[in-house]
Amino acid sequence: MKALWAIATREFRSFFRIPLGWVAVSLYLFLAGLIFAERILISGEPSSLRYFFGVSGFLLLPVVPAVSMRLFSEELKSGTIEPLMTSPVGDASIVLGKFLGAAMFLVAMVLPTLAYPAILMAVSDPRPDPGPIFAGYLSLALLGLVYLAVGTLASALTSNQTLAFLGTFLFLLLYTLVTSDIVGLPPWAARWAAELSLGPRLVDFAKGVIDSSHVVFLLSLASFFLLLAYVAVQTRRWR
Amino acid sequence: MIHVQGVSKSFGGIRAVRDVTFEVARGEVVGLLGANGAGKSTTIRMVTGFVPADSGSISINGFDTLDAALSARRQVGYLPESAPSYAEMTTRDYLDFRGRLYGMPRPARRAAIDQSLARCDLADVARRRVGQLSRGYRQRVGLAAAIMHDPPVLVLDEPTSALDPRQIRHVRTLVRDLAKDKAVLVSSHILPEVEQTCDRIVVMARGRIRLNAKPRELLAKHRASAPLVVQVKGDGEAARRAFASIEGVASVEAGASSGNWHTFTVRGTGSLEEAVGAAAVRAGLGLRELTRAAPSLERIFLELIEGEEDPGKAEGGA
Repeated sequence: MKALWAIATREFRSFFRIPLGWVAVSLYLFLAGLIFAERILISGEPSSLRYFFGVSGFLLLPVVPAVSMRLFSEELKSGTIEPLMTSPVGDASIVLGKFLGAAMFLVAMVLPTLAYPAILMAVSDPRPDPGPIFAGYLSLALLGLVYLAVGTLASALTSNQTLAFLGTFLFLLLYTLVTSDIVGLPPWAARWAAELSLGPRLVDFAKGVIDSSHVVFLLSLASFFLLLAYVAVQTRRWR
Repeated sequence: MIHVQGVSKSFGGIRAVRDVTFEVARGEVVGLLGANGAGKSTTIRMVTGFVPADSGSISINGFDTLDAALSARRQVGYLPESAPSYAEMTTRDYLDFRGRLYGMPRPARRAAIDQSLARCDLADVARRRVGQLSRGYRQRVGLAAAIMHDPPVLVLDEPTSALDPRQIRHVRTLVRDLAKDKAVLVSSHILPEVEQTCDRIVVMARGRIRLNAKPRELLAKHRASAPLVVQVKGDGEAARRAFASIEGVASVEAGASSGNWHTFTVRGTGSLEEAVGAAAVRAGLGLRELTRAAPSLERIFLELIEGEEDPGKAEGGA
């Protein structure tokens, strides 16, 4: 457990020691701020952060793979994976520690946007409904975890960071497209696709509805990909 | 401390390590020697628990590397080849991270960091980023990370490969010093490295152990069986007959001769120097040279490795 935390904090700190981390944070905050200033902070309209959450969820699509691509790929490339995997730390702790460290970084990245609801609370009349804001942040966090788990898996599979990024990004894009109504699937497949779809669940969150089945589904999905990442790290030892 | 028993490992049909068995005891420095691709790194990676063996068993200080993997890994301080470490971290932060991985509490960690920084001559770069350091410094950062949790077993893969002569001497002294109460396995493809630091050398070629011996004993053994070279002045044929009649002499081979000077190579058992000398005097010959053509360790090593390159000879000796 201590080792897991050591790995997580090292990972978290290292994002702030490299340009990539700052680029990701500033790009996200710049775009989120733009949305807030241009589309949300409009006088005479009822205040809601719904649009902000929608765009943030969309921004996670490129941002999360950029964060997760380093996790294992960099260690595989530079060889640091060897001292790491020969230290008395289980593979599960390594995978979870890295995942946790990246998750903490994403939280730190989104944290400054709490200023937006604070501003709305202060200047908007009537005040915005806190329900959808809370649910919106929750959905963002869950979505981030799912994306991050996919990214961790991709990173564990290759020593090439670009490949890890593209693999994660394209997989998430494909997943979103296939499980939405955009592609014409045969009826039996469409039914499954709808079950796995993220869109409608996010819409529910945006309305302020926290459906526990949605929470369980998203957490299970993240766990599933994390488990695959763990298997990928284990099999790396055996080949 | 390190017990490697009948270990083999294949990668995609290529047998990298075949039936390797050796031990390293406490207080001993063992050099793992071989050409590139001989199976040294794979052997080391199995010892440190990075890759599992296909067959055979490895135990470190009594812990099996598969059944008690984490306990076994805790016994080992490992410096991988090319000493990888996180470029964006400072030396001190990196060592702190390593200490945390081994579950060292903060005060112990701080003391261990200071000690290993001092031992590896790194105090002046403690706050520099590892990525900005020269190769020699990075190598020593890796060494500091390997020794900081004071493990009973040290495994060092090419520990001096990026160092200058002064640093090499420093690291050799450090390794000898550490070996007082540890078992140390050092790999190298450079013979002088191993010759000077190690109590015993294990030579690998094509995935097999070709030799497991103490350098001094090895030299003595090869010296004893080396032929005598004799150069005398006088009747060549008489000299040949005189030498051949000595008890214990198996063969006398005539070599180069110029004028009255004749060179012979005398093979046989036992120490023949005195008998050959006496025979030369009895035969009224002038004795100019009497030496053993003892091979250097380098020669022995090269013969072992080159013998192995040829698959025809491979199944023969050792």
